Amino acid sequence: MNTELIAQLTTAGAPLAVTRAGRVTGPDATDHAAAFERDPADYALLALLPGVTEAQRARMLMQLLGPSRVGWPETTRRTVDRVVRLLVLGLPAPVVGTVLLALRHRRANHKHVTRAALRLLFEHAEAAGFVGTHRRVAVSIVEHALGKATARGVARALRTADPSIVDARRALLRFLADEGAASDRLLALYARPASALIPAADAAARLDLDLDGGRPAVVTATNRGDLAATLVHRLPGGASPDLDAAQRRYLAAAVAAVPRYPGRLALVVDRSASMRGYGEREWAVRSQAAALELVLGERCAEMSTVDTPGAGTDLAGGVIAALNDRPDLVAVLTDGYENACEGDLARVVATLPRLGIDVPVVVCVATFGHSDDLALRRPAPAVPQRAFWHEADLGPLVLWLLLNTRAAAAGAWLRAGLTERLALVEGGR
Amino acid sequence: MTSLATIDLAGFRLGTPQRVDNLTVVPVFGPGYPGVLSPRDGVKLVRVDGYGTVVLRNPGSDGRVGLAIVPLHVGYVQDGAQNHALCRSAFLAPGQEVRFEDACCVQETTGGYLTERDQWFFTLPLELRAAALELRRQGSYSKLWPAIERFNRGHGLRARGHLELMLAGRRAFLTQYRSRLELVAGQLGALFVLGGRLVGVEVAPNPAYFADVWPALVCFAYGPAAMHSRGDAAVAATPYEASTVEELVAAREAQLRAELARVRAVVDAAARDWADPDVTEEERYLDLRLSTVVGSGVAGQIVSDGARPVYASLFVREMN
Repeated sequence: MNTELIAQLTTAGAPLAVTRAGRVTGPDATDHAAAFERDPADYALLALLPGVTEAQRARMLMQLLGPSRVGWPETTRRTVDRVVRLLVLGLPAPVVGTVLLALRHRRANHKHVTRAALRLLFEHAEAAGFVGTHRRVAVSIVEHALGKATARGVARALRTADPSIVDARRALLRFLADEGAASDRLLALYARPASALIPAADAAARLDLDLDGGRPAVVTATNRGDLAATLVHRLPGGASPDLDAAQRRYLAAAVAAVPRYPGRLALVVDRSASMRGYGEREWAVRSQAAALELVLGERCAEMSTVDTPGAGTDLAGGVIAALNDRPDLVAVLTDGYENACEGDLARVVATLPRLGIDVPVVVCVATFGHSDDLALRRPAPAVPQRAFWHEADLGPLVLWLLLNTRAAAAGAWLRAGLTERLALVEGGR
Repeated sequence: MTSLATIDLAGFRLGTPQRVDNLTVVPVFGPGYPGVLSPRDGVKLVRVDGYGTVVLRNPGSDGRVGLAIVPLHVGYVQDGAQNHALCRSAFLAPGQEVRFEDACCVQETTGGYLTERDQWFFTLPLELRAAALELRRQGSYSKLWPAIERFNRGHGLRARGHLELMLAGRRAFLTQYRSRLELVAGQLGALFVLGGRLVGVEVAPNPAYFADVWPALVCFAYGPAAMHSRGDAAVAATPYEASTVEELVAAREAQLRAELARVRAVVDAAARDWADPDVTEEERYLDLRLSTVVGSGVAGQIVSDGARPVYASLFVREMN
């Protein structure tokens, strides 16, 4: 697995930029190139890991578009094409423009670059605004894609309605779904004077690469996903045929957005008093934790559940008990507050290698919302930890579990999970 | 269980200690005392009549009628009003309304009187409790301000008689003690051990009563001292000396036994330090006696029915 690259992908850094001389700055390309060489499709799929930064995705797009694809198997070509399409439509238009500008400097004249350029200028949700605000870049991109003479000829042919200059349909319009809009866009691009070009408002939002839309600005106990909202009513003892039916329906919907975990997962569940919460947040954390437990029950090939022992929060005791099931991964599901000797989880995990146990342990912290302060909720700072609070976090969380699994087949499991994610993101547009 | 500061806790049992920062909380279990309402049901703030005068009432709730025992050093916070705390506990008979004219204002600069509308309650921080107890039955509303100034200075806050600097300014941290240390089902009391010293014993008449006062106790009575004593540096996790899972389990069990022995030693030491205090009866209600306990190392108030402790809030007199 590309452990080092994956760590880079989610680390904030300088954006991808290109100087007038064509020098590209931003994320280092070394690990990208190596991963691409090993397997372009696996490399491409990593762009769909939730949390990959915009700069890193731009670097990935550049890596995916730059080289020739001659000799690639059809399955590889197909996967890379699908990811490239999503990146072109999901990254901000100026970022994609920067990538294409850099490729022009490198004289990357492949058909897949042409398709990406046309997709940016004619299909991207922000294309109208981009053409208005970055006209010179846009002209440069379209002339790189079509050839300068052809691009200008198409514009002149469309402006004068004279097909003898260039066959606009053959040169451009046949590639595009909406010929009328494409004609207007190209004419706007070459409008004179350029200052007359008023940036158009874009109607739609660009593609959501992280499937992260639709989250509430103000979080309540019941707007964190339908499944958790149902469980908020069920956990305190509420039961009715309506709630049962709703839970089944919402569980099915939640499961559909979560990749499969093909291995053996041991889930250590903290059911202590603090998970219940209090006041307006009562049952909120517990309900999302229960939602995750239910979803994992549907998506794991094998799952064992171990409650933390005792009356307080003994996370370490739960981990030790969970090892009996010989899992591929132990996931501790908690609110992050450990009190049966604070720090004991860290000690026990640090002890496992001495026992010859190499099963990874991770901590999944259920929070109320996006702004919870987690400073006191890292029971084992050296152990990988990920917070979640919304139903939309469950899919990324399971991908993260796959990333942290060290089973022999873990790479294939992650590839399958990311391919499922690819289809989900494509479903958004 | 040991006798502490004249109260016999023989009928009670200790649970598994919970520990965060330097604060260890040991749950106490035992027989509930019938007929005492929890503060949520039996202790309602009616109003503040004037600076230093708090009026409480026992209304009962949902048809429940019973005696209420005002938690020692309870205080009320309300936006736009001057927050007050009580220096003593008291009985509230069913339906009774009581004026506490010896309450202290704990907010030096804000005007406005507390009313029955939205407010939340706290318990005075450990560092202020002995001073507040000494000031019971004294009339000045500003009497606790010098102690609050010292308390604030000790916590690196502005030296003013303004407890809200701690209660509101550190609230986000302090309230997490309620989650970091958890109430256990059936628990009706707790021992609070800070570092190697027993600093507080809290026993309620029943689990419902203790559940009501638990957040105020753990967050605001003992939380500030725990926060103050915690170290900043993250300590690297030291692996257990074990080469098999069985050895690891045994090592953890040994650690728990050692922790229980440590707590036992701490309690035994406190039993000696807190021995033979002066006990002064303050109020009676049927067979119940509310008394103030003051010894060289301990202070607080207890409610007892004969030899049986019903309510206790005992704490160290000095923090150092």
